[in-house]
Amino acid sequence: MSADVTLRGLPLRAEGITAGYGGDPVIRDITVSADPGQVVSLVGPNGSGKSTLLKSLVGIVRVSSGTVTVGGRQVTNMAPEEIARAGVGYVPQVDDVFGPLTVRENLEMGGYLLRRGEVAGRIDKVLTVFPRLAGMVGRGAAKLSGGERKMLAMGRVLMLDPGLFLLDEPTANLAPAIAIALLEEHVRGLAAGGAAVLIVEQRAKAVLAISDHTYVLGGGEVRMEGTPAELSVSPEFVESFLGGRARPVGSAEG
Amino acid sequence: MNAFYVINILVYAAVDAMACLGLNQQFGVAGVTNFGFIIFQAAGGYAAAILALPHDTANGGFQSYIGGWNLPFPLPWLGAAVAGGLVALPFAFLFGRRLRGDFAAVGLLVTAVLLNLLVTNYRPLLNGDAGLSLIPTPLRGQNMFSVESLGYEWVFTAGIIVLAVCVFAFLRRLTESPYGRSLRAMRDNDVVADSLGKNLLSMRTAMLVTGGAVAGLSGGILVTYITTWSPAEWGYAETVVLFAAVIIGGAGNQWGAVLGAVLVPVGFEEVTRYIPTSNNLPPNLIPSLEWVAIGVLIIGFLWFRPQGVLPERKRVIAVAAPAARRATGWQSDATPPLSVPETREVGGDGRQQNASGTSPRPVPQPTAGEGERARGDSGSPGSLTSAGVVLEAVGLSREFGGVRAVNDVSFTVRQGTLTGLIGPNGAGKSTLLAMLAGTLPVSSGKVVYLGQDVTSVPAFRRARMGLVRTFQLASEFKRLTVMENLVSSVQRNRGDSFFGAMGGRRYWGADEAAAVVRASALLERFGLADHANSYAGDLSGGQRRLVEIMRALMAEPRMLLLDEPMAGVHPHLARRIGNELVALCAEGMTILMVEHELAIMDEFCDPVVVMAEGAVLAEGTMQQLRGRQEVVEAYLVG
Amino acid sequence: MTLFLASVGFGLVTASVLAIASVGFTLQFGVTDVLNLAYGAVMILSAYVAYQVNAQGISVWIGLLAAVAAGSLASVVLNGVIYTPFQRRGATPTTMVIVSLGMTLIIEFGVAAVAGGVGVSYAMGNGPTFRAGGLNLTGVQLIVMVLAVVVMAGVHVLLRYTKLGKAMRATAANRTLARNCGIRTGRVITATWAVTGALCGLAGTVFAIDAGSFDASSTDLFLVLILAAVFLGGPGQAYGAMLGALVIGLATEVSAVFIPADYKYVIAFVALLIMLGVRPTGLLGARP
Repeated sequence: MSADVTLRGLPLRAEGITAGYGGDPVIRDITVSADPGQVVSLVGPNGSGKSTLLKSLVGIVRVSSGTVTVGGRQVTNMAPEEIARAGVGYVPQVDDVFGPLTVRENLEMGGYLLRRGEVAGRIDKVLTVFPRLAGMVGRGAAKLSGGERKMLAMGRVLMLDPGLFLLDEPTANLAPAIAIALLEEHVRGLAAGGAAVLIVEQRAKAVLAISDHTYVLGGGEVRMEGTPAELSVSPEFVESFLGGRARPVGSAEG
Repeated sequence: MNAFYVINILVYAAVDAMACLGLNQQFGVAGVTNFGFIIFQAAGGYAAAILALPHDTANGGFQSYIGGWNLPFPLPWLGAAVAGGLVALPFAFLFGRRLRGDFAAVGLLVTAVLLNLLVTNYRPLLNGDAGLSLIPTPLRGQNMFSVESLGYEWVFTAGIIVLAVCVFAFLRRLTESPYGRSLRAMRDNDVVADSLGKNLLSMRTAMLVTGGAVAGLSGGILVTYITTWSPAEWGYAETVVLFAAVIIGGAGNQWGAVLGAVLVPVGFEEVTRYIPTSNNLPPNLIPSLEWVAIGVLIIGFLWFRPQGVLPERKRVIAVAAPAARRATGWQSDATPPLSVPETREVGGDGRQQNASGTSPRPVPQPTAGEGERARGDSGSPGSLTSAGVVLEAVGLSREFGGVRAVNDVSFTVRQGTLTGLIGPNGAGKSTLLAMLAGTLPVSSGKVVYLGQDVTSVPAFRRARMGLVRTFQLASEFKRLTVMENLVSSVQRNRGDSFFGAMGGRRYWGADEAAAVVRASALLERFGLADHANSYAGDLSGGQRRLVEIMRALMAEPRMLLLDEPMAGVHPHLARRIGNELVALCAEGMTILMVEHELAIMDEFCDPVVVMAEGAVLAEGTMQQLRGRQEVVEAYLVG
Repeated sequence: MTLFLASVGFGLVTASVLAIASVGFTLQFGVTDVLNLAYGAVMILSAYVAYQVNAQGISVWIGLLAAVAAGSLASVVLNGVIYTPFQRRGATPTTMVIVSLGMTLIIEFGVAAVAGGVGVSYAMGNGPTFRAGGLNLTGVQLIVMVLAVVVMAGVHVLLRYTKLGKAMRATAANRTLARNCGIRTGRVITATWAVTGALCGLAGTVFAIDAGSFDASSTDLFLVLILAAVFLGGPGQAYGAMLGALVIGLATEVSAVFIPADYKYVIAFVALLIMLGVRPTGLLGARP
């Protein structure tokens, strides 16, 4: 990973995002941003729209209003493959590897946009980050354990060395010790390498420990935001995380 | 214009209309997509033939077939209908399997081709490729040299048209009834129809047999008109033609089926007469172009007008007037929203804190009318325990391949409470709810409802006992109106069976009217009376949630199990729903609700049960729970 | 015994034609999720294109190239103009079946309208006959078998060793994830239909060569054999289709030794129905 922080990373600016799956919007008027070298986290209970937000940033879910810019470039509602080509690496929560393909082939697909000569070299680099995968390059991805799959999913997105990482609950279904390790070593490491990282997580405590900035989502909206330091001393943080808030449901509408 | 020509058109129109009506009943109304449909018509044709023909040694013995009993009219036609129905029976078991629509279609098409192949090649059965001929015409015996008189032909034609009209009327009576509504519900969403207690296997079998009998009859009639029947009459292409006719005419609409029959099989046949023939054109050009035209029409209609020329009609049911509702003891004005409850003092640990046994809000005594309603007309008595417990989970566990999704969960739900069930992702809430509702079997433990062990009672029977659940995802019947959605979930309606439907409105009208009255009151209460006759699929997400809840209420439950009723709902509407739920509890209802939106728990639910990693963590009001370290940890650690 | 061996010979030829056809069909399903029931019609369309070339006095093997091109083009247009728009609209699998049946009518009877209903044959010799034991195969039949082996090898190389092939497998496994990798899946799908369409055209021509004489409806029953081979091996599994073709091809021909020849296709029908009923993912597919 190169050392020049400012050139490598791609800042993310998502403003006023309203999106849904066709009927009523799931997320309303959400504004988040992430700068190169930062780990920005999105926490909140299930159903708060965290996954939907990420999907709308990579073109899987349609944005009905709002704008998304990556590295200064407007990418709102672009096709997912074009957003990937713009330097955005997305790891979904489920269906995160190509089951029928081998580990090596999964990585090759991750490096699809690379020139032919570069692929082997990048695969070697990724395997040094996840040495466990090196021993199973010929194995079918569907045969991997949960933790190994996650590593492969991360490895796949590392192939292109994107400037912006969007990670959807990368520690889901992992044992707590491995989860902490993944967050502290690998996720933090991505930002250290200069990229911008936006990560959605259920394990709020663990992800706060590695974040530079955190948004708390609830009911499709941003309820609170701040640095982990600010949030951890704020009584409202626990309140808003567990649903209580300054304004009761719907009172804005009277 | 030649009289025989007119008769020819009328006979074919009547026969094709019958076949299309039968297919429409299966495909358009009940959603049974049967690509083997032609087999039923073929069976009917052959049955009529072998019943009417003399033994195969007659007429010079040049044909070889089974049967040949030389039965007089109308037995061959009766036999044709029976044969069509019988052949349809085995198909009923093919449709229950969870096979992809296109795989199932291939299987049925191939079955039709296979049977055609077998009949073609096994001559002793039905004279193989050459088929059967010299089939006697009704009431005239068989004389291949006599041409029937014009008078006879007109009588024959009139008789067939009358038969077709009878079939139309019969199917109409079947479809425009509570049973027909259940068929359409099954078409729109069979999983939900199943959970409401509709017997899918019985309905599918009935439709296959009915459609089969109608198709068989049409085959029998056709056979006695053209006096021959061979495999060429019923290749897979004929099935495609019939599907095209039903789709183009309008699936789900009986007049559409008739129109489709006139336009496609008959229309195409007749159009060729008017095309000038020329010796320069190859002989198969026109027939080939006809097939091309049918293909173009199929694709054209599926793209531009999939509902067909005559789309399925909306069934409008008038909302019952307030006066009628008041007469049956229902309140028509909406209950005003109740205020947010005060925090309660609690001692000791959070569990079993309802030791005092009273719920936080005053429970007004129900009026006589509402008391009847609250008890419902469920068959089994069941009763509250002395502490007012409606539902109890005793050591419930559920395992999936070595993982314990729910681990030894025990708690009680008291009457009149709006209990919340919360917990981080993967805590096992939905699994627990499903076990309580009966849609998921338990690995160990008991579910006790009104003092009775219902652990092995299936979901729809629990619903009849008054324990009703709602579903997370969109589960309304999209092509039924809101009113129909509500009325279809009533547990007892005399018209909701095949024979009940045949009884006509005189038989089931009273039950239907009573259901409409109850539905109307609910619509008023939840503010959707204006949308009573809109298709449920056209409503907004929040409105559909209300329909889901109202539909559950139509089943006259004593206890509701709600699975994320506010998911994706606008906060304003969520608050209204919450208020309504509180009002229902004030009237004696008991509700257990899974929700993620913790602000709702805060405002409306008491008590709230927290689950994490498959086990109950704590119980109390949200205010109390937020102060408890292990609850906060569960959420923050994830 | 010689009868048996002779039937094995026929079975291998049938299996060869079937293998070329089935691999194309199954890949179309795997990558696009459509059971292209118009496949048989495109086969016979291509066979007629070869016939038109052949009728000008040109060797049928050159005509075969024209057929391959025709099949490829027709398939790309079929998917691009008909299947993809319907899928984008959210058509159910049942609707797609009806759509593909409609296209079968249009293509098959379009060919019949233009070509006339009379059976035609290619002007070609059969080449020398080779005997070994009871096996009795003409030079042309051997060429067909060699073509099949070459095609199977080619498909194997494509799927395992080329970027496009791996992208095809990735798109079939998880289209969204493939797009997240930057793969332009729309182009991959078009390329898939071009390649499988070429296979379809090739299969149609060798089918016609093997059949001797043919008309527009000749592939109707053959489509059932294709379906049997595909579902035996597992829909979407290329190697499964190869295996299925071998089994079905041999089974149908060898069965003709024991049961009346008119019924030889019945084995394929029954195999297909059993697979659909018991294990729709096929012998090589994942457990359902």
